[in-house]
Amino acid sequence: MQVPYAMLQVILAPVLVAFLTVFFGKYLGKKLGWVAFGVLAYTSLLMINIGIDLWNGLGPFYEEYRWSTSLFDMKFGFLADGLSLPVALIMNMICAACALYSIHYMEHRIEQLFGKEEKGMYTVYFSIYLLFAVGLVGVALSTNLIQMYVFVELALIPSYIMIDLFGYVDRHRIAMMYFIWNHIGAAMFLVGIALAFVGTGSFEITALRNLSNASLGFWVCFFVLIGWLVKMATFGFHVWLPYAHGEHPTSIAAIIATIVGLGNYVIVRLLYGEMLESFRIFGTPLLVLAIITIIYGGFLTLAQDDFKRLYACSTISQTAYSILGIATLTTMGVAGGVFYFLSHILGKCVLFSIAGIVLCQTGIRDMRNLGGLARKMPLTATLCILGSMVLSAFPPLSGFQGEWIMFVGVFQEAGASTGFTVAIVAIFATFLTVAYTFWPILRVFFGPLAPGLENVKEAPLSMVLPLFVLMLIAFIMGIYPESVMRLIGPVVSSMAP
Amino acid sequence: MSLTYGFAPWLCWALPTIGSVIHFVLPKGLGRARYAAVVLFSFMSWVMALLMLSSIPTHGYEELGGFWFSLPEGASVGIGILLDSLSIILANLVAFLSFLILVYSFKYMEGEPGENRYWFFMSLFIGGMLMLILANNFIFFFIGWKIVGLCSFGLIGHYYTDDRKYWIGGPPPHPFQKPSRCGLKALLVTTFGDVALLGGIIIIYLYSGTFNYVELYETAGVWLSKMSETPGILTITTLLLLAGPFAKSAQFPFHEWLPEAMAGPTPVSALIHAATMVKAGVYFVARVLPIFYFAAWVATPAIQEALVFFVVVAAVGGFTAFLAGTQAMVALELKKALAYSTMSVIGYMMLSLGVAGMSPAALVEGFTSGIFHLINHGIFKAALFLCAGVLIHASHSIYITDMNFSSKEMKFTWAFMWIASLALIGVPPLSGFWSKDGILLSCLESGQFALFLLAALTVAVTSFYTIRFMGIMFHKGHSVEKAHGDHKGEPSILMLLPYGILAVLTVGIGLIGPWVKESIQELFKDQFYALHMISAEHSVHASVSPIAEAVPIAVSLAMIAVGALPAYRAYISHKLDVSRILKRYEILRGLHVFLWNRWYIDAFFNKVFVNSVLASREPTAKYIEGGIDLALNVGIPRIFSGINNNIRKLQTGILSVNMLYILGFMLILIIAFLVLGVL
Repeated sequence: MQVPYAMLQVILAPVLVAFLTVFFGKYLGKKLGWVAFGVLAYTSLLMINIGIDLWNGLGPFYEEYRWSTSLFDMKFGFLADGLSLPVALIMNMICAACALYSIHYMEHRIEQLFGKEEKGMYTVYFSIYLLFAVGLVGVALSTNLIQMYVFVELALIPSYIMIDLFGYVDRHRIAMMYFIWNHIGAAMFLVGIALAFVGTGSFEITALRNLSNASLGFWVCFFVLIGWLVKMATFGFHVWLPYAHGEHPTSIAAIIATIVGLGNYVIVRLLYGEMLESFRIFGTPLLVLAIITIIYGGFLTLAQDDFKRLYACSTISQTAYSILGIATLTTMGVAGGVFYFLSHILGKCVLFSIAGIVLCQTGIRDMRNLGGLARKMPLTATLCILGSMVLSAFPPLSGFQGEWIMFVGVFQEAGASTGFTVAIVAIFATFLTVAYTFWPILRVFFGPLAPGLENVKEAPLSMVLPLFVLMLIAFIMGIYPESVMRLIGPVVSSMAP
Repeated sequence: MSLTYGFAPWLCWALPTIGSVIHFVLPKGLGRARYAAVVLFSFMSWVMALLMLSSIPTHGYEELGGFWFSLPEGASVGIGILLDSLSIILANLVAFLSFLILVYSFKYMEGEPGENRYWFFMSLFIGGMLMLILANNFIFFFIGWKIVGLCSFGLIGHYYTDDRKYWIGGPPPHPFQKPSRCGLKALLVTTFGDVALLGGIIIIYLYSGTFNYVELYETAGVWLSKMSETPGILTITTLLLLAGPFAKSAQFPFHEWLPEAMAGPTPVSALIHAATMVKAGVYFVARVLPIFYFAAWVATPAIQEALVFFVVVAAVGGFTAFLAGTQAMVALELKKALAYSTMSVIGYMMLSLGVAGMSPAALVEGFTSGIFHLINHGIFKAALFLCAGVLIHASHSIYITDMNFSSKEMKFTWAFMWIASLALIGVPPLSGFWSKDGILLSCLESGQFALFLLAALTVAVTSFYTIRFMGIMFHKGHSVEKAHGDHKGEPSILMLLPYGILAVLTVGIGLIGPWVKESIQELFKDQFYALHMISAEHSVHASVSPIAEAVPIAVSLAMIAVGALPAYRAYISHKLDVSRILKRYEILRGLHVFLWNRWYIDAFFNKVFVNSVLASREPTAKYIEGGIDLALNVGIPRIFSGINNNIRKLQTGILSVNMLYILGFMLILIIAFLVLGVL
């Protein structure tokens, strides 16, 4: 069954609700969370519906609307193929889960910041929350570069407002830092887009193909890549991320990890998919950069004592895994990299949310002052182990399947050039993940109960249950990877020369 | 071949896996009966394993299963079961031992904290182990393999609250270890091996294009020769592949997690040591061994590099056997002594599998003895640990020096434990004797005399430490006064029965030992021929003269006596005063300290890996990250604000100056367009 204007609905429905929220928000207060969840659940269902068709071998599906005819001939288009749909769907489901999670979390946070009366704050939060979600999904579904850029900004600005309004320590300064860094990234991306237009006279993504192997193609790749490397916080460009993710309200931080990883999708879609010949030259430098980022990110994460900042730093390292896979420019590496990205955002969302739960229930972020929480919060502890399993690639959760598929690509690439040395270094770097995800479990949840935590209570189900659902998705992807590979695989295979 | 029970292998691993959550689903009102349901699932899994036995005697192998998921470029991964002698025998052993251990834990765990969690991990542990044994490809295998590792983390750290009474190590002034840390250590060390193993598997995949065992065996000639074209690749692959099993099976240099793995409840130790986990490594080596054997001895031209596999396995096994054995000689904690002995015995198995490939003459003998020893060890080590659980409960102490039991109070436990201990030493006619003899024999057959000597020396060591801990616990003799509370006598029948059965089996297998070994040998010969393309001509079963066959028996018996005599005089008849001897000879004191500190290997690893990483934390955060942070997040804004201040000076407000700016700006624009146009 095909729903008419399905993808337009996916984008417009949350926007519409966000708009309406402004009017009736103050009557609903925190119940707005359920409204947000409702609309995101609806759009998720729409995408699942498309996904079923794709699964059955139909598609890919296009929806195109005329956007501008005068100065530029532009279409506002959506594409659902095996690559974009899983990415959009999983991001959307994460947003839906976090909407529920936010209800209790934001109640706590708004109470802390503004006092009890501020019902209007829920309106602000949930309306921009929905815009933020639309931005993410829009990037994945776009067929037009300008449109993609608009959605990138649509994801950036709400998250900037969120951190400025609801963030933690030094939030105004960090909001500005976050905004500037990401804007530099976005601006580079825009330069790349403009150059592409100079070369092709079109903003369509598919038009990039004409630039492949052209000398301008190199510069397009360069700017798009640099832009997204900044947004993906690779080594050298990463300094904004621990601050931004550390001080964001956790419900948003959970999703920000998605934005960071989204770069992987964009690189695959634009550079690997459309202009592989020009992109090829960046393969080896990107590979090296990814390995440096993985290792440095790993040690940086191990060095953290702050529970929220810990997972922020681990995002640096985890995102670089996907970059590593993509940098191999092998089909297995790219497919595995995207798979790993999807699994990582599921896991990271859960882990950030747990840091939020712990912060919410205990008021403590410093792991040196935490300990023994497992007996007080068994569900949260379980979730933390599950999330860590996703990150450190423990089957039967999804991380494992993504990781090994990706490493087949890495070994393939490295075997051809350096006799596996690079690949072996990279695969041993994954060991760091286990250390930096499981050691904090020990510090926070095991051991004797830290002083002052005697009255800590388990988080409410509205926070915990959505996270379990996310882990269920990771579980299904883990025991039945076909659910994702059947969609991603053919698309990525068709991109290879 | 026809297999009547096609569903049995699937249910065999699925039942315990599903059973792990059954007690969460059942209504709480049932109380502990919910856990009985878990035991029931494990029992049914054993029944399924028994059903599979019926398909053993025919011949060859059978593969079940099919498509699992697709990979890009048209490749795919299957999910399935490989039934051959190896997997069926091991599945039976694991399912049977696990069932007995679960029965025992039903009583043992009564009233312990976190029972739900305990049963979940135990049952999943068993499911994971059966999965890895029955899997027909590397990926499916690896999933079971990782599940086993994860469950061990959960179970070793079962008492995660780290209350004082759950600490291990010591006694003061020696440091203690906390359970949660022990669990993490096990997880990290084994994961290190897993990471390498995954790398090895991927390299093999790249050359062979498959994860499936049968396809790997069948096309071994092709992909191995492709691999051997670049020298070094096969060696790297071998080392990567072996790191996994070495870490899982606690072999040098990845052995340091096992002595501390006893921080969990005792049935967990029994499961880890006897049925799951450490046996997984031996299984894996046995599973890939035919590939390397094929490369080294069957393929034409022979690939010499493949011998690295066997040399490493044999050397590491032999060394670990000796290393761990010596450490057991000084252990004061009962479970730690048993843990060292497990490492030592697993070392024997590795040694046996290693020498099996060093010469065609030793293949059948070595392979069979290794697996036979695995079976025997599983049975008697489970018995020993289950007894240990009872003794530790009764004495409220983990130290053998605090235990003072008399054979009269616990007649059965005493007898069963002695039977198991004697089998560990390898006293005829108990089961351990036959397999240990086979291992020594295969060392000789392959011509590895140095390894033979090492193994023989370890026999003496084993005999010494076993009699030592048994003597200290049961035969203190002089002080009958009960220092440590209430010896309740025999435990409940639910606990006694499991290890009773195991002790009886130890005797039973021992009595028909040569026949059992002969039958396994025939099965493996069939398997080699049908599955691994290794026919009789490639594995010459050297007709050893009866005199040569008698050598290992004689040596083994002599070495048992060498170890047993001093131990007997010191700890049972009390003719020797150990502390006086230690006082007299400084070198022995030094040796004692050296062994007590585990040859300083643990300390070395702690210093090199743990402490150095911990020490790197502050510099990383402060100097590297802080430096970059300062440069980018403070430095660049400062440059801008500096420029900003200077620009302010430029804003003069004079019209002509402003016109100049505009001109300059337009010039830049034109140049930019020109440059772009050229591009």
